[in-house]
Amino acid sequence: MNSIDLKTILHRTVSTGYGDLVTRHTGRAVRGGVEELLEDADGSQVAVIDFGAVGCLDISCADEIVGKLLLVHGSARHFLLRGVTEAHCEAISLVLERHSMAVVAEDRCGQFQLLGPLGETVKRAFAAVMENGPAAATEVAARLDMPTDATERVLDELLERRLVQQEAGGYRALTAL
Amino acid sequence: MTRVVEVPAHFDDRSLDQFAKAYGEPDDERLLFDAHAVQWAAPYGLLGLMVAGQTTVEQGGQRPRLTIPTDRDVLHYWGRAGFFEFAGEWFEIHGKVPRVSVSRSSEVLLEITPVRGSDDVHGVVGVIQERAAAILSGELGLEATATMGFAMALSEACQNIVEHAGTSGWVAVQSYHWRRRLGRRVVVIAVADAGMGFRRSLQTTQGGRYGDRWGDATALEAALIQGASRFRDPGRGQGLGGIRRYLNRWDGKLSIRSGTARIAIVPSWDDDIPLADSLAPFPGSQMLQIIPAQQAE
Repeated sequence: MNSIDLKTILHRTVSTGYGDLVTRHTGRAVRGGVEELLEDADGSQVAVIDFGAVGCLDISCADEIVGKLLLVHGSARHFLLRGVTEAHCEAISLVLERHSMAVVAEDRCGQFQLLGPLGETVKRAFAAVMENGPAAATEVAARLDMPTDATERVLDELLERRLVQQEAGGYRALTAL
Repeated sequence: MTRVVEVPAHFDDRSLDQFAKAYGEPDDERLLFDAHAVQWAAPYGLLGLMVAGQTTVEQGGQRPRLTIPTDRDVLHYWGRAGFFEFAGEWFEIHGKVPRVSVSRSSEVLLEITPVRGSDDVHGVVGVIQERAAAILSGELGLEATATMGFAMALSEACQNIVEHAGTSGWVAVQSYHWRRRLGRRVVVIAVADAGMGFRRSLQTTQGGRYGDRWGDATALEAALIQGASRFRDPGRGQGLGGIRRYLNRWDGKLSIRSGTARIAIVPSWDDDIPLADSLAPFPGSQMLQIIPAQQAE
């Protein structure tokens, strides 16, 4: 799994004196740094973007980093945002809402959540996959008490949005990698 | 010839319209801003005064004169708030400027600070997180996590200057007890610039959609309510929405004045009107964010 520390990139690309991801100018520079690292990374692995050492994240910077990374690379790669705070999630959620996109995030206590404008059933299906490890559609359907074909449609949406992965045994969460 | 522009005795967001009317349209006369009788000025008022001086100079007019307040306490507050650090660039000051150091205290959380580019926004955000945390959670009763949202709201407000004004601007943050107006402590963010204003900034991308209705008021509505931007990038125009959401959460007020209009998100404790049009014209844009102390359930 590729882990990309945003604070390190911030210091390398903008200034060693900053600890906050604010302004579009900063966001563009940091995204450029992330994309350089992604070029050298194995595209089949989950790209972990590490917010663990980031202080403030404003909406403009969240749009430049998370929004544009997902817009440009989201159809080809899996992304996981690690070390996010509640305030980070608020800024990122606004951006995702604007672009109708979603992403998996892990907070600083190791709790996973889906960010973005997703329906309740989709979130429940994600939780079921995450809790059960790799699971077939029938297992997820039983857990959600839903018909299998409807569950498959929900799981396909998660798959299409690159929020889960498919393997021989069924579906698995990015978190289980 | 000199034209006297009287600075309101109580100079804040409510009296800026009166000041704008007195300021009027630029002409060949030299201006004298008369602040000698000022009894109180909020950061919003001080920034309005700064914008008037800056605009006059940037439009090629003679550097205006400014007679400073005679009240010692008022004058010392202007000094602590950082007004005289930059005022000399835009005004020929008449009166004795006190030797008061600019202070970041529990009252002045961020002195009047110029915003010219991304680096200034980083500086402001860095400073405010240190200064505001204790006030927001201790005195205003906001959750500890609210400080980050506060820094976000401040950052987005400052970026409006960098991205849209076409010139530099100013920011100041202050905490005080609003005894008469609210009976509670508040933190106030004031941001102002002498730039092109919302109508001109959005003209190219939004003007055509509104046709004859296009003006300062519709431009403010487009920006604040619909998240419109002058950039065609679909990710643009989210900053004001984020500020609005943050202030809604903490029962705060947001007010933006540009040109001849003012739009506000008005909480239940305030009696402002949501949209005011046909006001006296004033250069640039002025934003006010007010976060009140939270009331116990």
